[in-house]
Amino acid sequence: MRMRTIKPWWVIAAFLSGLAFAMWAEELVLSTQEGRLEFAAPRVHFLVGKPLERLRNASEVPFVFKITLWSGTRTHVLREVPARFVVSYDLWEEKFSVTKLVTPRRTARHLTDNAAEAWCLQEMSQDVTGISANEPLWARLEIRAEDSKESGLPFGRGNITDSGINLTSLIEIFSRPAATTQPHWTIETGPVTLDELRRGRRRG
Amino acid sequence: MRTLFLTGIFVIALPICCAPFPDGPLDNDEAGPTNVNTRLIVESVQVSGQGSAKLSDPLRSELSEFAGKNFDQPLLERLADRIKQELHAPDVRMHVVKGDMPDHVIVNFEIGVEREKRFDLDLARFLYHSKQGWSGQGHATVNIHENAFSFGMISDGDRLSQRYAGIQAGFERRHVGTDRLQLRFDFASYHEQWNEATLLEAAPGDIYRTRTQFSPTATIVILEPLVVSFGVDFARYRLSLPVANTESSNAVVSTLRYHQRWGSAGDEGEQDIRASYSVRAGTHFLESDPVFARHETEARYRFRRRHQDLSIGFLAGKISGLAPLFERFVLGNAETLRGWNKFDLDPLGASRVVHGSIDYVYRGFLVFYDTGAVWDRPEDREQKQSLGLGCKKSGFQLAVAFPVRTGVVSPVFYAGMNF
Repeated sequence: MRMRTIKPWWVIAAFLSGLAFAMWAEELVLSTQEGRLEFAAPRVHFLVGKPLERLRNASEVPFVFKITLWSGTRTHVLREVPARFVVSYDLWEEKFSVTKLVTPRRTARHLTDNAAEAWCLQEMSQDVTGISANEPLWARLEIRAEDSKESGLPFGRGNITDSGINLTSLIEIFSRPAATTQPHWTIETGPVTLDELRRGRRRG
Repeated sequence: MRTLFLTGIFVIALPICCAPFPDGPLDNDEAGPTNVNTRLIVESVQVSGQGSAKLSDPLRSELSEFAGKNFDQPLLERLADRIKQELHAPDVRMHVVKGDMPDHVIVNFEIGVEREKRFDLDLARFLYHSKQGWSGQGHATVNIHENAFSFGMISDGDRLSQRYAGIQAGFERRHVGTDRLQLRFDFASYHEQWNEATLLEAAPGDIYRTRTQFSPTATIVILEPLVVSFGVDFARYRLSLPVANTESSNAVVSTLRYHQRWGSAGDEGEQDIRASYSVRAGTHFLESDPVFARHETEARYRFRRRHQDLSIGFLAGKISGLAPLFERFVLGNAETLRGWNKFDLDPLGASRVVHGSIDYVYRGFLVFYDTGAVWDRPEDREQKQSLGLGCKKSGFQLAVAFPVRTGVVSPVFYAGMNF
């Protein structure tokens, strides 16, 4: 019986590729400035793929952002902050425009794709006054592109016709898993303390 | 008591149903539009792909109205949905590209390639009527190479003087060599349920317990708005006599239809006319037991402008000879003389009918007026009237109707879709 052995270069290759993957993995970068916790995700690009295709077709694309902060332990949720942004792309200027749907609205125009992404994250910064400088913090950023069309509604346009309710389309809607149809990104970081961030020792 | 209770529910439900439906996912507020492209001007709107030539004039006219206006994504998406609905297209995609002039865009609606939907399920009709109870009809359709096989179930206590419940099956070929010729074979098998009032009035030989029907028909598009259908209808029904007896009512069937539309639902308004004349003749030539000729003509004019919708309908019919009860005319249901009970007007149905109605809808709020008469002998002819109000939106209707008469006012409540 012939024994198969694992060649050493395979182990090295696996280790190197794992290391490379870890280096290039998506990361959430935290920093503090004037009592606010700021977020950056230089390797996460959400203005890509289907959303970008819709934007280049003159459609606006809504994105939902959510920041979750844990303090002390990973089970203690300190804060959950959702926000909604609407991105559009000017066909003639070839620049992006982003509006944060808060009252009053805030809009940034004439942005490149990277600048538009960064502006959204900048708008998600959190006030951290009152949080102990030595308390461990964990942060998670979730981004989800929404389908702007109403077609997802059971009695939305197209499902009711002159010949009645089309049950096939309703079955399709209800059997469609919501999460997988929407482009989404999730990145996390922690534990990290405000002290570490202020000293600039810890990134990501 | 039950009617009062239903009227109470109606009063509560009406403002909810008539509340304006939200249009589009992201409306612009005082802070301005969220889509930066709203500053751009639409240079032209085009439709391409299979079947684009069949687009109706009103819709074409609406499309052309967009040229010269600011780009409005929700409005254009709604237009794409209307194209999809009108052409029964599987998909309509909107493509926006830069125009020839600066800050202008060209919008192209691309009709997706017809991908045959193998299986389809439709709830074609659904209704609750406070006097006649529930009615419903649903179909499942399987499409195989342009052949549609359908199977459905029905229970209808509204249209005829009896409730009929059973199964329906059909085969349809929409193109027989040419787009102008269609073939259809329909089969149905029903059990009948009779109202006390009908049983009291009818002769024993008029009442049947079961009915099966088979009707092959061909439809020819003569000239685009004018369509003619012809065929035969073989019906067999088992009478409720002590000695079970089966009779046949075999008729030659012919229908001429006309449908035309003008204008657009925008500023000038859209007008729509549908008219039909049909004749069914039961003849010994087809070994029919009853010999009769049934003529029916229907017309409906509709005018839509922005949030307003006016509809005027007319129906007239005459039967000569002795037709079975399922061929006779009925008024006093959810479509005609709304507010009246068909069993109070003529529990057997009648051989003569005239009916007219006016419906007016404003932002989903509906008011209507019906008038008509059913009779067998001229001296029985008596004009009846009814009034009603409710709400109507996207095929759904919820209304309460009152017969115009002296004495006790007994409103009729009904709710449902596509009736």
